[in-house]
Amino acid sequence: MKELTLKVLKNEPIAAGIYRMRLELPEKTEGIRCGQFINISVGDASHLLRRPIAICQKDESSVTICYQVKGNGTKNLSGAKAGDILQSVLPLGNGFILEEKEKKIALLGGGVGVFPMVSVLQEYAGKGKNFYSYVGFRNKDAVCMESEFQQMSEKVCFVTDDGSYGERGNAVEAFLKEYDSLLPDVIFACGPLPMLRALKKAMRDFAIKTPCYVSLEERMGCGIGACLVCVCKKSGKAENVRVCKDGPVFEIDEVEI
Amino acid sequence: MADLSVKVCGVLFKNPVIAASGTFGFGKEFNEIYDIGALGGISTKGLTLEPRLGNATPRIAEGHGVILNSVGLQNPGVDRFLAEDLDFLKASGTVIIANVAGKTLEDYAQICAKLDGKVDMIELNISCPNVRCGGMAFGIRPESVESVTKSAKSQLKKTPLIVKLSPNVENIAVNALAAEKGGADCVSLINTLTGMVIDIENRRPLLANNTGGVSGAGIKPIAIRMVYEVCRAVSIPVIGMGGITCAEDALEFIIAGASAVQVGTANFTDTMAMPKIISGLNKWLDERKIPNLSSLRGTLTVNG
Repeated sequence: MKELTLKVLKNEPIAAGIYRMRLELPEKTEGIRCGQFINISVGDASHLLRRPIAICQKDESSVTICYQVKGNGTKNLSGAKAGDILQSVLPLGNGFILEEKEKKIALLGGGVGVFPMVSVLQEYAGKGKNFYSYVGFRNKDAVCMESEFQQMSEKVCFVTDDGSYGERGNAVEAFLKEYDSLLPDVIFACGPLPMLRALKKAMRDFAIKTPCYVSLEERMGCGIGACLVCVCKKSGKAENVRVCKDGPVFEIDEVEI
Repeated sequence: MADLSVKVCGVLFKNPVIAASGTFGFGKEFNEIYDIGALGGISTKGLTLEPRLGNATPRIAEGHGVILNSVGLQNPGVDRFLAEDLDFLKASGTVIIANVAGKTLEDYAQICAKLDGKVDMIELNISCPNVRCGGMAFGIRPESVESVTKSAKSQLKKTPLIVKLSPNVENIAVNALAAEKGGADCVSLINTLTGMVIDIENRRPLLANNTGGVSGAGIKPIAIRMVYEVCRAVSIPVIGMGGITCAEDALEFIIAGASAVQVGTANFTDTMAMPKIISGLNKWLDERKIPNLSSLRGTLTVNG
Protein backbone atom coordinates (compact mmCIF):
# COMPACT_ATOMS: atom_id res chain seq x y z
CA MET A 1 0.00 0.00 0.00
CA LYS A 2 1.09 3.51 -0.82
CA GLU A 3 0.00 7.09 -0.25
CA LEU A 4 -0.74 8.37 -3.75
CA THR A 5 -1.98 11.51 -5.45
CA LEU A 6 -4.68 10.54 -7.92
CA LYS A 7 -6.04 12.59 -10.81
CA VAL A 8 -9.73 12.34 -11.58
CA LEU A 9 -10.15 11.27 -15.23
CA LYS A 10 -13.91 10.94 -15.20
CA ASN A 11 -16.69 11.13 -12.59
CA GLU A 12 -20.22 10.44 -13.79
CA PRO A 13 -23.57 9.14 -12.55
CA ILE A 14 -24.35 5.62 -13.79
CA ALA A 15 -27.60 4.96 -11.89
CA ALA A 16 -29.80 6.74 -9.34
CA GLY A 17 -27.40 8.08 -6.69
CA ILE A 18 -24.50 5.97 -8.00
CA TYR A 19 -21.33 7.48 -9.47
CA ARG A 20 -18.41 5.94 -11.29
CA MET A 21 -15.03 7.65 -10.91
CA ARG A 22 -11.94 6.75 -12.89
CA LEU A 23 -8.68 7.87 -11.30
CA GLU A 24 -5.25 8.06 -12.85
CA LEU A 25 -2.45 6.42 -10.86
CA PRO A 26 0.74 8.52 -10.70
CA GLU A 27 2.91 5.46 -11.26
CA LYS A 28 2.53 1.99 -12.69
CA THR A 29 0.92 0.04 -9.87
CA GLU A 30 0.91 -3.71 -10.04
CA GLY A 31 -0.49 -6.22 -7.63
CA ILE A 32 -3.91 -4.65 -7.09
CA ARG A 33 -6.28 -7.57 -6.49
CA CYS A 34 -10.01 -7.86 -6.99
CA GLY A 35 -11.97 -7.13 -3.82
CA GLN A 36 -9.43 -4.63 -2.52
CA PHE A 37 -10.35 -1.02 -1.82
CA ILE A 38 -8.93 2.46 -1.66
CA ASN A 39 -9.31 5.03 1.13
CA ILE A 40 -9.83 8.33 -0.62
CA SER A 41 -10.20 11.94 0.41
CA VAL A 42 -13.50 13.52 -0.63
CA GLY A 43 -11.65 16.67 -1.69
CA ASP A 44 -12.83 19.04 1.03
CA ALA A 45 -10.72 20.05 4.04
CA SER A 46 -13.69 20.00 6.43
CA HIS A 47 -14.02 16.22 5.93
CA LEU A 48 -11.07 14.75 7.80
CA LEU A 49 -12.03 11.15 7.18
CA ARG A 50 -11.35 9.44 3.91
CA ARG A 51 -13.95 7.15 2.38
CA PRO A 52 -13.18 3.47 1.90
CA ILE A 53 -14.47 2.48 -1.55
CA ALA A 54 -14.10 -0.85 -3.39
CA ILE A 55 -12.07 -0.98 -6.56
CA CYS A 56 -14.43 -1.90 -9.38
CA GLN A 57 -12.06 -1.93 -12.34
CA LYS A 58 -8.34 -1.39 -12.77
CA ASP A 59 -5.46 -1.39 -15.18
CA GLU A 60 -1.80 -0.52 -14.76
CA SER A 61 -2.41 3.21 -14.87
CA SER A 62 -5.88 3.72 -13.39
CA VAL A 63 -8.47 2.49 -10.92
CA THR A 64 -12.22 2.89 -11.20
CA ILE A 65 -14.41 3.11 -8.11
CA CYS A 66 -18.19 3.23 -7.92
CA TYR A 67 -19.94 4.79 -4.95
CA GLN A 68 -23.34 5.73 -3.66
CA VAL A 69 -24.00 9.30 -2.57
CA LYS A 70 -25.11 8.82 1.03
CA GLY A 71 -23.94 11.80 3.06
CA ASN A 72 -22.04 15.07 2.73
CA GLY A 73 -18.73 13.31 2.11
CA THR A 74 -19.83 11.26 -0.88
CA LYS A 75 -21.89 14.25 -2.09
CA ASN A 76 -18.66 16.19 -2.17
CA LEU A 77 -16.92 13.37 -4.00
CA SER A 78 -19.68 13.35 -6.61
CA GLY A 79 -18.82 16.98 -7.39
CA ALA A 80 -15.21 16.17 -8.37
CA LYS A 81 -14.35 17.10 -11.96
CA ALA A 82 -11.88 15.63 -14.44
CA GLY A 83 -8.44 17.02 -13.57
CA ASP A 84 -9.16 17.35 -9.84
CA ILE A 85 -6.57 15.85 -7.51
CA LEU A 86 -7.52 13.51 -4.66
CA GLN A 87 -5.20 11.96 -2.07
CA SER A 88 -5.59 8.27 -1.40
CA VAL A 89 -3.91 5.25 0.14
CA LEU A 90 -4.11 2.01 -1.84
CA PRO A 91 -4.48 -0.85 -2.45
CA LEU A 92 -6.01 -1.90 0.87
CA GLY A 93 -7.35 -5.14 2.29
CA ASN A 94 -6.95 -8.78 1.31
CA GLY A 95 -9.34 -9.09 -1.66
CA PHE A 96 -10.94 -12.15 -3.22
CA ILE A 97 -8.65 -15.00 -4.20
CA LEU A 98 -9.63 -17.98 -6.37
CA GLU A 99 -7.80 -21.25 -6.09
CA GLU A 100 -6.72 -23.13 -9.20
CA LYS A 101 -9.23 -25.94 -8.60
CA GLU A 102 -12.16 -23.52 -8.21
CA LYS A 103 -13.70 -23.31 -11.69
CA LYS A 104 -17.40 -22.70 -11.12
CA ILE A 105 -17.95 -19.55 -9.13
CA ALA A 106 -21.20 -18.06 -7.83
CA LEU A 107 -21.08 -14.27 -7.44
CA LEU A 108 -23.74 -12.62 -5.28
CA GLY A 109 -23.91 -8.84 -5.31
CA GLY A 110 -26.48 -6.51 -3.78
CA GLY A 111 -26.62 -2.73 -4.21
CA VAL A 112 -23.13 -1.19 -4.06
CA GLY A 113 -21.93 -4.72 -3.31
CA VAL A 114 -22.10 -5.49 -7.03
CA PHE A 115 -18.94 -3.46 -7.75
CA PRO A 116 -16.40 -5.76 -6.04
CA MET A 117 -18.01 -8.61 -8.02
CA VAL A 118 -17.23 -6.75 -11.25
CA SER A 119 -13.59 -6.58 -10.10
CA VAL A 120 -13.59 -10.38 -9.65
CA LEU A 121 -15.00 -10.86 -13.16
CA GLN A 122 -12.43 -8.51 -14.65
CA GLU A 123 -9.47 -10.10 -12.89
CA TYR A 124 -10.31 -13.67 -13.84
CA ALA A 125 -11.70 -13.04 -17.33
CA GLY A 126 -10.19 -15.51 -19.83
CA LYS A 127 -8.57 -17.60 -17.10
CA GLY A 128 -10.77 -20.67 -17.45
CA LYS A 129 -13.25 -19.73 -14.75
CA ASN A 130 -17.03 -19.87 -15.14
CA PHE A 131 -19.01 -17.25 -13.29
CA TYR A 132 -22.69 -17.41 -12.38
CA SER A 133 -23.79 -13.96 -11.20
CA TYR A 134 -26.79 -13.09 -9.03
CA VAL A 135 -27.15 -9.36 -9.00
CA GLY A 136 -29.70 -7.46 -6.92
CA PHE A 137 -30.79 -3.83 -6.89
CA ARG A 138 -33.50 -1.83 -5.13
CA ASN A 139 -35.34 -0.99 -8.36
CA LYS A 140 -34.70 -0.38 -12.06
CA ASP A 141 -33.32 3.13 -11.44
CA ALA A 142 -30.48 1.65 -9.38
CA VAL A 143 -29.48 -0.94 -11.99
CA CYS A 144 -25.98 -0.59 -13.45
CA MET A 145 -23.08 -2.73 -14.74
CA GLU A 146 -25.48 -4.92 -16.76
CA SER A 147 -23.12 -5.29 -19.72
CA GLU A 148 -20.10 -6.06 -17.51
CA PHE A 149 -21.99 -8.88 -15.83
CA GLN A 150 -23.47 -10.14 -19.10
CA GLN A 151 -20.18 -10.15 -20.98
CA MET A 152 -18.10 -11.87 -18.35
CA SER A 153 -20.56 -14.34 -16.75
CA GLU A 154 -21.71 -17.72 -18.06
CA LYS A 155 -25.09 -16.77 -16.73
CA VAL A 156 -26.39 -13.69 -14.97
CA CYS A 157 -29.60 -13.22 -13.06
CA PHE A 158 -30.74 -9.67 -12.31
CA VAL A 159 -33.31 -9.13 -9.58
CA THR A 160 -34.89 -6.07 -7.99
CA ASP A 161 -36.72 -5.63 -4.69
CA ASP A 162 -39.84 -4.41 -6.53
CA GLY A 163 -39.56 -6.45 -9.71
CA SER A 164 -39.15 -3.34 -11.87
CA TYR A 165 -36.07 -4.90 -13.55
CA GLY A 166 -35.45 -8.63 -13.87
CA GLU A 167 -37.25 -10.88 -11.48
CA ARG A 168 -38.66 -9.71 -8.19
CA GLY A 169 -36.54 -10.80 -5.22
CA ASN A 170 -33.02 -10.59 -3.95
CA ALA A 171 -29.66 -12.03 -4.96
CA VAL A 172 -29.64 -14.67 -2.21
CA GLU A 173 -33.12 -15.99 -3.16
CA ALA A 174 -32.16 -16.06 -6.84
CA PHE A 175 -28.98 -17.98 -6.02
CA LEU A 176 -30.75 -20.50 -3.77
CA LYS A 177 -33.27 -21.30 -6.52
CA GLU A 178 -30.44 -22.44 -8.75
CA TYR A 179 -28.07 -23.84 -6.15
CA ASP A 180 -28.92 -27.53 -6.65
CA SER A 181 -28.46 -27.44 -10.40
CA LEU A 182 -25.36 -25.21 -10.15
CA LEU A 183 -23.37 -26.71 -7.25
CA PRO A 184 -20.61 -24.06 -7.42
CA ASP A 185 -17.04 -24.66 -6.19
CA VAL A 186 -17.02 -21.38 -4.30
CA ILE A 187 -19.34 -18.47 -3.46
CA PHE A 188 -18.30 -14.81 -3.31
CA ALA A 189 -20.78 -12.27 -1.90
CA CYS A 190 -20.94 -8.58 -1.13
CA GLY A 191 -23.94 -6.48 -0.18
CA PRO A 192 -25.90 -5.02 2.70
CA LEU A 193 -25.68 -6.84 6.06
CA PRO A 194 -29.26 -8.25 5.85
CA MET A 195 -28.28 -9.90 2.55
CA LEU A 196 -25.13 -11.45 4.01
CA ARG A 197 -27.05 -12.59 7.09
CA ALA A 198 -29.69 -14.20 4.86
CA LEU A 199 -26.94 -16.01 2.97
CA LYS A 200 -25.34 -17.23 6.19
CA LYS A 201 -28.69 -18.45 7.51
CA ALA A 202 -29.59 -20.20 4.25
CA MET A 203 -26.24 -21.96 4.14
CA ARG A 204 -26.80 -23.22 7.67
CA ASP A 205 -30.47 -24.16 7.08
CA PHE A 206 -29.74 -26.07 3.88
CA ALA A 207 -26.39 -27.45 5.09
CA ILE A 208 -24.56 -25.88 2.15
CA LYS A 209 -20.87 -26.64 2.63
CA THR A 210 -19.55 -24.72 -0.37
CA PRO A 211 -16.68 -22.40 0.63
CA CYS A 212 -18.15 -18.92 0.89
CA TYR A 213 -16.36 -15.59 1.19
CA VAL A 214 -18.06 -12.28 1.95
CA SER A 215 -16.78 -8.72 1.74
CA LEU A 216 -17.79 -6.53 4.68
CA GLU A 217 -18.32 -2.80 5.01
CA GLU A 218 -17.68 -0.73 8.14
CA ARG A 219 -17.01 2.90 9.00
CA MET A 220 -13.23 3.29 8.98
CA GLY A 221 -10.57 5.55 10.43
CA CYS A 222 -7.07 5.03 9.07
CA GLY A 223 -8.04 2.28 6.58
CA ILE A 224 -4.68 0.53 7.04
CA GLY A 225 -5.20 -1.45 10.25
CA ALA A 226 -3.74 0.87 12.89
CA CYS A 227 -6.70 2.54 14.59
CA LEU A 228 -9.02 -0.42 15.39
CA VAL A 229 -12.15 1.51 14.41
CA CYS A 230 -13.61 -0.91 11.82
CA VAL A 231 -13.67 -4.13 13.77
CA CYS A 232 -15.93 -7.15 13.57
CA LYS A 233 -16.26 -10.01 16.06
CA LYS A 234 -14.63 -13.31 15.27
CA SER A 235 -17.14 -16.17 15.50
CA GLY A 236 -16.95 -18.11 18.74
CA LYS A 237 -13.91 -16.23 20.04
CA ALA A 238 -13.35 -13.24 22.29
CA GLU A 239 -11.39 -11.60 19.53
CA ASN A 240 -11.94 -8.88 16.92
CA VAL A 241 -10.76 -8.76 13.34
CA ARG A 242 -10.06 -5.54 11.47
CA VAL A 243 -12.30 -5.16 8.41
CA CYS A 244 -9.72 -2.94 6.66
CA LYS A 245 -6.61 -5.06 7.21
CA ASP A 246 -7.66 -8.63 8.03
CA GLY A 247 -10.56 -8.26 5.54
CA PRO A 248 -12.64 -6.88 3.99
CA VAL A 249 -13.08 -10.43 2.64
CA PHE A 250 -13.76 -13.11 5.25
CA GLU A 251 -14.82 -16.72 5.17
CA ILE A 252 -18.54 -16.42 6.05
CA ASP A 253 -18.28 -18.49 9.25
CA GLU A 254 -15.14 -16.73 10.46
CA VAL A 255 -16.99 -13.56 11.49
CA GLU A 256 -20.21 -12.59 13.25
CA ILE A 257 -22.45 -10.75 10.82
CA MET B 1 18.95 21.32 7.74
CA ALA B 2 17.94 22.80 11.05
CA ASP B 3 18.42 20.87 14.29
CA LEU B 4 14.96 19.55 15.14
CA SER B 5 16.06 17.44 18.10
CA VAL B 6 14.49 18.00 21.48
CA LYS B 7 15.20 16.54 24.90
CA VAL B 8 12.24 15.75 27.14
CA CYS B 9 12.95 14.40 30.67
CA GLY B 10 16.42 13.36 29.52
CA VAL B 11 15.05 11.42 26.52
CA LEU B 12 16.43 12.58 23.19
CA PHE B 13 13.92 12.84 20.31
CA LYS B 14 15.40 13.32 16.81
CA ASN B 15 12.48 15.64 16.09
CA PRO B 16 9.48 16.77 18.13
CA VAL B 17 6.83 14.89 16.12
CA ILE B 18 5.28 11.97 18.02
CA ALA B 19 2.46 9.71 16.86
CA ALA B 20 -0.51 10.13 19.21
CA SER B 21 -1.85 7.11 21.03
CA GLY B 22 -4.66 5.21 19.34
CA THR B 23 -4.05 6.50 15.84
CA PHE B 24 -0.91 4.53 15.10
CA GLY B 25 -1.34 1.08 16.66
CA PHE B 26 2.11 -0.31 17.42
CA GLY B 27 3.61 1.15 14.26
CA LYS B 28 3.58 -1.93 12.02
CA GLU B 29 0.97 -0.74 9.54
CA PHE B 30 2.37 2.75 9.02
CA ASN B 31 5.83 1.21 8.63
CA GLU B 32 4.51 -0.43 5.44
CA ILE B 33 4.04 3.10 4.06
CA TYR B 34 7.13 4.87 5.41
CA ASP B 35 10.05 4.23 7.76
CA ILE B 36 8.64 5.00 11.21
CA GLY B 37 12.21 5.42 12.43
CA ALA B 38 12.02 8.91 10.92
CA LEU B 39 9.53 9.97 13.59
CA GLY B 40 10.45 11.65 16.84
CA GLY B 41 8.49 9.09 18.79
CA ILE B 42 5.46 6.82 18.96
CA SER B 43 2.90 6.72 21.73
CA THR B 44 1.41 3.25 21.56
CA LYS B 45 -2.21 2.20 21.48
CA GLY B 46 -3.49 2.44 25.09
CA LEU B 47 -2.49 -0.67 27.02
CA THR B 48 -4.39 -2.30 29.87
CA LEU B 49 -3.45 -5.20 32.16
CA GLU B 50 -5.90 -7.56 30.47
CA PRO B 51 -6.81 -7.64 26.76
CA ARG B 52 -9.86 -5.51 25.88
CA LEU B 53 -12.27 -5.87 22.95
CA GLY B 54 -13.46 -2.27 23.05
CA ASN B 55 -16.85 -0.80 22.18
CA ALA B 56 -19.47 -1.80 19.61
CA THR B 57 -19.30 -0.30 16.10
CA PRO B 58 -19.73 2.27 14.62
CA ARG B 59 -16.74 3.62 16.50
CA ILE B 60 -16.14 6.70 14.37
CA ALA B 61 -18.10 9.71 13.13
CA GLU B 62 -17.36 13.07 11.58
CA GLY B 63 -18.19 16.74 12.05
CA HIS B 64 -16.88 19.88 10.32
CA GLY B 65 -13.12 19.75 10.70
CA VAL B 66 -13.34 17.13 13.44
CA ILE B 67 -13.89 13.44 14.00
CA LEU B 68 -15.29 11.56 16.98
CA ASN B 69 -14.09 8.15 18.10
CA SER B 70 -15.21 5.64 20.67
CA VAL B 71 -12.87 2.72 20.19
CA GLY B 72 -12.97 1.95 23.91
CA LEU B 73 -9.37 0.90 24.48
CA GLN B 74 -9.32 -2.25 22.36
CA ASN B 75 -5.84 -3.67 22.94
CA PRO B 76 -4.09 -7.03 23.34
CA GLY B 77 -3.04 -6.36 26.95
CA VAL B 78 0.37 -5.33 28.25
CA ASP B 79 1.83 -8.86 28.33
CA ARG B 80 1.17 -9.53 24.66
CA PHE B 81 2.49 -6.06 23.82
CA LEU B 82 5.74 -6.86 25.61
CA ALA B 83 6.01 -10.27 23.95
CA GLU B 84 4.89 -9.42 20.42
CA ASP B 85 5.17 -5.72 19.65
CA LEU B 86 7.91 -4.10 21.69
CA ASP B 87 10.89 -5.60 19.86
CA PHE B 88 9.61 -4.37 16.51
CA LEU B 89 9.04 -0.88 17.88
CA LYS B 90 12.47 -0.73 19.53
CA ALA B 91 14.20 -1.83 16.34
CA SER B 92 12.64 1.12 14.50
CA GLY B 93 14.98 3.53 16.28
CA THR B 94 12.33 5.98 17.42
CA VAL B 95 11.39 6.90 20.99
CA ILE B 96 8.80 4.45 22.36
CA ILE B 97 6.17 5.80 24.73
CA ALA B 98 3.85 3.18 26.23
CA ASN B 99 0.39 4.64 26.72
CA VAL B 100 -1.36 2.91 29.62
CA ALA B 101 -4.85 2.91 31.09
CA GLY B 102 -6.55 1.25 34.01
CA LYS B 103 -9.66 1.07 36.13
CA THR B 104 -8.04 1.22 39.55
CA LEU B 105 -4.96 2.73 41.18
CA GLU B 106 -3.55 -0.79 41.46
CA ASP B 107 -4.04 -1.36 37.71
CA TYR B 108 -1.89 1.69 36.97
CA ALA B 109 0.76 0.62 39.48
CA GLN B 110 0.91 -2.94 38.13
CA ILE B 111 1.09 -1.99 34.48
CA CYS B 112 3.81 0.56 35.20
CA ALA B 113 5.80 -2.05 37.12
CA LYS B 114 5.65 -4.33 34.07
CA LEU B 115 6.86 -1.61 31.71
CA ASP B 116 9.50 0.12 33.85
CA GLY B 117 12.86 0.10 32.13
CA LYS B 118 11.45 -1.55 28.99
CA VAL B 119 10.18 1.53 27.14
CA ASP B 120 11.58 5.05 26.83
CA MET B 121 8.63 6.80 28.50
CA ILE B 122 5.22 5.93 29.91
CA GLU B 123 2.14 8.04 29.22
CA LEU B 124 -0.79 7.67 31.63
CA ASN B 125 -4.17 7.81 29.99
CA ILE B 126 -6.31 9.15 32.80
CA SER B 127 -8.69 10.93 30.49
CA CYS B 128 -10.00 8.45 27.97
CA PRO B 129 -13.70 9.32 27.93
CA ASN B 130 -14.83 5.99 26.53
CA VAL B 131 -14.64 3.56 29.38
CA ARG B 132 -17.60 3.99 31.66
CA CYS B 133 -15.97 2.96 34.89
CA GLY B 134 -12.47 4.19 35.62
CA GLY B 135 -10.68 6.17 32.90
CA MET B 136 -12.61 9.39 33.14
CA ALA B 137 -12.84 9.57 36.91
CA PHE B 138 -9.10 9.82 37.51
CA GLY B 139 -8.69 12.63 35.03
CA ILE B 140 -11.42 14.96 36.21
CA ARG B 141 -10.59 15.99 39.74
CA PRO B 142 -7.13 17.28 40.73
CA GLU B 143 -7.09 15.04 43.84
CA SER B 144 -7.50 11.87 41.77
CA VAL B 145 -5.04 13.11 39.13
CA GLU B 146 -2.48 13.41 41.90
CA SER B 147 -3.26 10.02 43.45
CA VAL B 148 -3.14 8.08 40.17
CA THR B 149 0.11 9.81 39.24
CA LYS B 150 1.61 8.87 42.63
CA SER B 151 0.46 5.28 42.26
CA ALA B 152 2.07 4.95 38.82
CA LYS B 153 5.22 6.82 39.80
CA SER B 154 5.78 4.59 42.84
CA GLN B 155 6.54 1.68 40.47
CA LEU B 156 8.83 3.56 38.11
CA LYS B 157 12.52 3.46 38.91
CA LYS B 158 13.88 4.05 35.41
CA THR B 159 11.22 5.25 32.99
CA PRO B 160 10.03 8.89 32.97
CA LEU B 161 6.29 9.39 33.47
CA ILE B 162 4.02 11.53 31.29
CA VAL B 163 0.48 12.24 32.47
CA LYS B 164 -1.97 12.88 29.61
CA LEU B 165 -4.54 15.45 30.65
CA SER B 166 -8.22 15.60 29.80
CA PRO B 167 -9.67 18.90 28.54
CA ASN B 168 -13.11 17.99 29.92
CA VAL B 169 -12.33 19.60 33.27
CA GLU B 170 -12.90 22.79 35.23
CA ASN B 171 -9.31 24.01 35.06
CA ILE B 172 -6.68 22.06 33.17
CA ALA B 173 -3.79 24.05 34.67
CA VAL B 174 -4.87 22.99 38.17
CA ASN B 175 -4.91 19.35 37.06
CA ALA B 176 -1.48 19.77 35.47
CA LEU B 177 -0.16 21.07 38.79
CA ALA B 178 -1.77 18.10 40.53
CA ALA B 179 0.08 15.73 38.18
CA GLU B 180 3.33 17.58 38.85
CA LYS B 181 2.73 17.33 42.60
CA GLY B 182 2.01 13.60 42.22
CA GLY B 183 5.44 13.12 40.66
CA ALA B 184 4.81 13.40 36.92
CA ASP B 185 7.96 14.10 34.91
CA CYS B 186 5.95 15.59 32.05
CA VAL B 187 2.36 16.29 31.03
CA SER B 188 0.78 15.85 27.60
CA LEU B 189 -2.41 17.55 26.43
CA ILE B 190 -5.07 17.65 25.22
CA ASN B 191 -6.87 14.34 25.07
CA THR B 192 -10.16 14.42 23.15
CA LEU B 193 -13.15 16.58 24.04
CA THR B 194 -16.32 14.62 24.66
CA GLY B 195 -18.94 15.02 21.94
CA MET B 196 -21.95 13.52 20.17
CA VAL B 197 -23.30 13.31 16.62
CA ILE B 198 -26.95 12.48 15.91
CA ASP B 199 -28.33 10.74 12.85
CA ILE B 200 -31.53 12.76 12.32
CA GLU B 201 -33.19 10.13 10.10
CA ASN B 202 -33.35 7.48 12.82
CA ARG B 203 -32.90 9.95 15.72
CA ARG B 204 -30.10 8.02 17.32
CA PRO B 205 -26.49 8.88 18.09
CA LEU B 206 -24.25 7.85 15.23
CA LEU B 207 -21.70 6.23 17.53
CA ALA B 208 -22.70 2.91 19.08
CA ASN B 209 -21.27 4.26 22.35
CA ASN B 210 -23.50 7.40 21.98
CA THR B 211 -20.64 9.77 22.80
CA GLY B 212 -17.04 9.88 21.64
CA GLY B 213 -13.83 11.86 21.78
CA VAL B 214 -13.67 14.86 19.44
CA SER B 215 -10.32 15.43 17.73
CA GLY B 216 -8.90 16.94 14.56
CA ALA B 217 -8.15 20.34 13.07
CA GLY B 218 -11.28 21.97 14.54
CA ILE B 219 -10.12 21.59 18.16
CA LYS B 220 -6.69 23.17 17.67
CA PRO B 221 -7.44 26.65 19.08
CA ILE B 222 -8.79 25.06 22.27
CA ALA B 223 -5.71 22.85 22.55
CA ILE B 224 -3.34 25.79 22.00
CA ARG B 225 -5.07 27.83 24.70
CA MET B 226 -4.85 24.95 27.17
CA VAL B 227 -1.19 24.21 26.39
CA TYR B 228 -0.44 27.90 26.89
CA GLU B 229 -2.20 27.88 30.28
CA VAL B 230 -0.47 24.70 31.44
CA CYS B 231 2.98 25.83 30.30
CA ARG B 232 2.58 28.94 32.45
CA ALA B 233 1.51 26.86 35.46
CA VAL B 234 3.99 23.96 35.66
CA SER B 235 7.76 23.67 35.64
CA ILE B 236 7.88 20.17 34.05
CA PRO B 237 7.98 19.74 30.25
CA VAL B 238 4.74 19.79 28.25
CA ILE B 239 3.90 17.79 25.14
CA GLY B 240 1.20 19.51 23.10
CA MET B 241 -1.43 17.99 20.84
CA GLY B 242 -4.85 18.66 19.38
CA GLY B 243 -5.62 19.19 15.70
CA ILE B 244 -2.07 19.42 14.36
CA THR B 245 -2.07 18.87 10.60
CA CYS B 246 1.03 20.74 9.37
CA ALA B 247 4.39 22.16 10.49
CA GLU B 248 2.86 25.57 11.18
CA ASP B 249 0.36 24.01 13.60
CA ALA B 250 3.19 22.21 15.41
CA LEU B 251 5.12 25.49 15.68
CA GLU B 252 2.16 27.19 17.38
CA PHE B 253 2.31 24.60 20.16
CA ILE B 254 6.08 24.95 20.51
CA ILE B 255 5.93 28.73 20.65
CA ALA B 256 3.17 28.37 23.29
CA GLY B 257 5.70 26.38 25.36
CA ALA B 258 5.44 22.72 24.32
CA SER B 259 8.69 20.74 24.15
CA ALA B 260 7.28 18.28 21.62
CA VAL B 261 3.99 17.58 19.88
CA GLN B 262 1.77 14.62 19.08
CA VAL B 263 -0.13 14.08 15.85
CA GLY B 264 -3.24 11.91 15.80
CA THR B 265 -6.22 12.50 13.55
CA ALA B 266 -4.05 13.89 10.74
CA ASN B 267 -2.72 10.34 10.26
CA PHE B 268 -6.21 9.37 9.06
CA THR B 269 -6.54 12.31 6.68
CA ASP B 270 -3.13 11.67 5.12
CA THR B 271 -1.04 8.60 5.96
CA MET B 272 2.09 10.68 5.22
CA ALA B 273 1.05 13.54 7.55
CA MET B 274 3.89 13.12 10.04
CA PRO B 275 6.81 12.86 7.59
CA LYS B 276 5.35 15.94 5.87
CA ILE B 277 5.20 17.84 9.18
CA ILE B 278 8.84 16.95 9.92
CA SER B 279 10.06 18.12 6.52
CA GLY B 280 7.82 21.19 6.83
CA LEU B 281 9.49 22.11 10.13
CA ASN B 282 12.91 21.84 8.52
CA LYS B 283 11.87 24.04 5.63
CA TRP B 284 10.25 26.66 7.85
CA LEU B 285 13.31 26.96 10.09
CA ASP B 286 15.76 26.96 7.17
CA GLU B 287 13.85 29.71 5.38
CA ARG B 288 14.15 31.86 8.50
CA LYS B 289 17.73 30.80 9.20
CA ILE B 290 16.79 29.50 12.65
CA PRO B 291 19.40 26.83 13.47
CA ASN B 292 17.48 24.89 16.09
CA LEU B 293 13.87 24.28 16.85
CA SER B 294 14.21 24.21 20.63
CA SER B 295 15.18 27.90 20.58
CA LEU B 296 11.56 28.67 19.68
CA ARG B 297 10.06 26.92 22.68
CA GLY B 298 7.96 29.21 24.87
CA THR B 299 8.88 32.35 22.95
CA LEU B 300 5.29 33.57 22.88
CA THR B 301 4.74 37.21 23.83
CA VAL B 302 1.19 37.81 24.92
CA ASN B 303 -0.54 41.12 24.40
CA GLY B 304 -0.53 43.38 27.45
